[in-house]
Amino acid sequence: MAVEITLTVNGKPHALEVGSTEMLVEVLRDRLGLVGTNRDCAQGICGACTVLMEGKPVTSCLLLAAQADGAKITTVEGLETGGKLTSLQEAFMRHGAVQCGFCTPGFLMTATALLAENPKPNRDEIRDALRGNICRCTGYAKIIDAVEDAAGRG
Amino acid sequence: MASELDVGEKFALDGLDEQRHWQEVYREIIGGATKGSDVFFGHSIPRNDVLYKVRGRAKYAANVTMPGMLHGVFLRSPHPYAKIKRVDVSKAKTAPGVQCVLTAWDVREEGFLVGSLFEDTPVLAKTVVRHVGEPVVAVAAETLAQAEAALDLIEVDYEPMKPILTPQEAIAPGAPQLHEQGNIIADFTKTRGDAEAALKASDIVVEGVYTNDPIEHAYLESPAGISFWDGDVLTLLVCTQYPHFHHKQLARVTGLPMEKIRVVQSVIGGAFGGKIDVTIECAASLMTMKTGRPVKMVLERNEVFSSTTKRHAMTIRHRLGATKDGRLTALDMDVLCDGGAYNSYSLIVAGRCIIHSAMPYDIPAIKTHMKTTFTNHVPSGAMRSFGVIKLGFATESQLNKIADQLGMSPIEIRRINAVKSGTVTMTGQVLQDVGFIKTLDALEPIYEARRKELAAKPQTGPIRTGLGIASLGYGIGYSGVRNPSTARIEVDETGLVIANCGTPDVGTGSDMALAQIAADAAGIDIARIRVVSGDSTKTDDSGPTSASRTTYFSGSAARIAGNDFNRQFVEALAAKLGVSKGVVRLNDDQVLVNNSPMSFEEACKTIGSATKNIVAYGKFDPVNQLDLKNFEGDPYPTYTYATHLAEVEVDIETGRIEVPNYWAAHDAGTLVNPMGAVGQIEGGVVMGLGMALWERIVRKDGYIQNPGYRDYLLPGAKDTPTKIETIFVDNPDPTGPYGAKGVAEASIIPVPAAIAAGLHEATGVRPAKMPMDAETVLDLLDRKEAAE
Repeated sequence: MAVEITLTVNGKPHALEVGSTEMLVEVLRDRLGLVGTNRDCAQGICGACTVLMEGKPVTSCLLLAAQADGAKITTVEGLETGGKLTSLQEAFMRHGAVQCGFCTPGFLMTATALLAENPKPNRDEIRDALRGNICRCTGYAKIIDAVEDAAGRG
Repeated sequence: MASELDVGEKFALDGLDEQRHWQEVYREIIGGATKGSDVFFGHSIPRNDVLYKVRGRAKYAANVTMPGMLHGVFLRSPHPYAKIKRVDVSKAKTAPGVQCVLTAWDVREEGFLVGSLFEDTPVLAKTVVRHVGEPVVAVAAETLAQAEAALDLIEVDYEPMKPILTPQEAIAPGAPQLHEQGNIIADFTKTRGDAEAALKASDIVVEGVYTNDPIEHAYLESPAGISFWDGDVLTLLVCTQYPHFHHKQLARVTGLPMEKIRVVQSVIGGAFGGKIDVTIECAASLMTMKTGRPVKMVLERNEVFSSTTKRHAMTIRHRLGATKDGRLTALDMDVLCDGGAYNSYSLIVAGRCIIHSAMPYDIPAIKTHMKTTFTNHVPSGAMRSFGVIKLGFATESQLNKIADQLGMSPIEIRRINAVKSGTVTMTGQVLQDVGFIKTLDALEPIYEARRKELAAKPQTGPIRTGLGIASLGYGIGYSGVRNPSTARIEVDETGLVIANCGTPDVGTGSDMALAQIAADAAGIDIARIRVVSGDSTKTDDSGPTSASRTTYFSGSAARIAGNDFNRQFVEALAAKLGVSKGVVRLNDDQVLVNNSPMSFEEACKTIGSATKNIVAYGKFDPVNQLDLKNFEGDPYPTYTYATHLAEVEVDIETGRIEVPNYWAAHDAGTLVNPMGAVGQIEGGVVMGLGMALWERIVRKDGYIQNPGYRDYLLPGAKDTPTKIETIFVDNPDPTGPYGAKGVAEASIIPVPAAIAAGLHEATGVRPAKMPMDAETVLDLLDRKEAAE
């Protein structure tokens, strides 16, 4: 069954007809070509598919596209503006917070939401906020460093 | 010669103009990292691929779409062991959107069997399936949903057989033989002196049986690839640790000549040894040949669990003897290992384990035996440390037991038994430039100070705290066979320098390390260099990125090629200007001709079309040989060493272990990129923590019970130490590039033993199985209480 929805993704409005079982991650990647949002575990656990819905992090592999009807969605592609990185993206680069990078978009979205809500989080608050994102390469320390640094600069 | 676009293509989904803009942004970011320096080696330069990763523009294979692209999926075996009686794909062939249904009967006989070390694994099963998840049929359709729907229309009749589920069953008399070679994959014994007599003569002998559950690599990106015709060249973009292996294999599977195949590594979402075997490569390529269309295949995570290689489950029987002053006298180790249904890397794991039996200690009498068998489990394969983590768990735990029984410091007992420069190993290798004791020296003051601090804190409530020590010694590169790496450096008239390096970057940042080494050796700015790696037609086969070998092997090749580049460049410019080459210099990105400066670009323009004659080449091929019959020889050109200290908190009511603080002291030679090296160690420590405390593949009757992250617990940000402090001791390796050697893989090895030792200090119980989950800890505490 098809459902008509509207989405505002990275500031751009879209009117779409989606399947009733179609997940938001599929719409973002396969329909809108926003492949920066990675998809993997399909259980909402690895966090690689995290996007912001109305500024809050959600795992887009578990969210039906129809549930996002009318929502403002931000993906990793929506972070940079005018050819410039955000301070968080730059901090991830400078601190070695990225190795294979597959988890990175999800971490960036979660951390972006954290800093919007709590501009000066301490390390424990950062660790707590990132608990829904898995990284297998870095051991997390440099990701936490990067978020802490971006908060300091922001 | 690669074009600029070619190189950017490797990383980015962006067009050329966008890439140029972002390269400028990148240069601003790295400018700060190298300011005021004339060398790049030793600096924490951020990586250029990361630029695309933080923007969501990285070219993982799953992110690539091509016109006319089909989606491929596998039908997999639902049985651990069964005969295939009939495969009927007729209904699937006519299903909506289906363009290709591939069965074993479509694969030519010469290419029917594939595999990393031995060609023993069918591309698609034909007469028998040997594990749950083995691919039987592949389907390609216009959409993923159509391909998946068609799988339901395929009829396969199986005749299930009784599976072999343990190595003990595999070697039992009358057991069914899973392969023509029998059920034994490896059966290695190595002796040094008379271990039995030496154990009898020892003042103290400790015994233990150490076991572990199989582990998932859990790279974040599931295996993915896309095959397509690029003109008449069958091209495969795939996440792999070894594109050249797939290139050769595809030539055999497809029957195409080598020059009509190209395998390019996509940006890869982690590997850890798990992307070194065949997954989608052959099926996707064959379906492209059948249809003429691009075919993309991306495994689902539950398929990754059910069908890709695992870390071996081992049972290690271990006896270790010592004198009353703590000097090790003898080691007797017997290992039984579940290799799963196909060979994969099991032989290499067994060989490396035998060689590392005593590492990093000098033990005069040794008997070590390892047997690996086939079973009807999914194949066991390569994973970070090739099995040595399990030996480390056993040997380091045993050594800690002896130290405790003798009332010795765990640092001191290691110091008096440590391998040193000049130590002759059990294979007869004379070790050089050993930095092991330096890692003990580095940790000792931290250990002593922290002991005092913890002793001063009263232990009240259910939380108990303890410190644990464990060490490692690990050989760099293949075990006992030569494994050369090469690099080729070229330049064009505009001054773009391409370094073609054989070993791919698997997400660790090795391309950056190679660029740093090549830039210094060539005498040019790192911003000029593009590393092209992991492309089977642009680079030589330099082996896989594995065994902590890329910095040492490919880095050495890059250094030799860089020096050669400098020489050829100077000669080419001198010839063009008609001056003696003695008056031309290229240093710190500055060209001097008779002491008057010229920019590098200007020099390239001057050399003009003759730049294409500058092809600098470097090959690094240390002679390391080992006789597999008696395990005598020099298996590795060098070794890396480390000692780890874990602070462990145990809740004796819940059994939960936390590791609030962790210290890792490593001898990694001189560091190419300190930030990258620290990142490798932190990642290894946390992966080791996962294996030590939570991770396990649960199997029953040949089926994996927990094929997803909901039931397979990975360490998250809240589970990891608040502090991981990495210390690098000063110990340049004269055989490595600018003194560097490998480090990445080994950092996982001592983690479980260090945690077990901390748990013992905290509670008096000493686990001998991994994972040391809450249930295990509580059970040990209960038994201890009952015994008291």
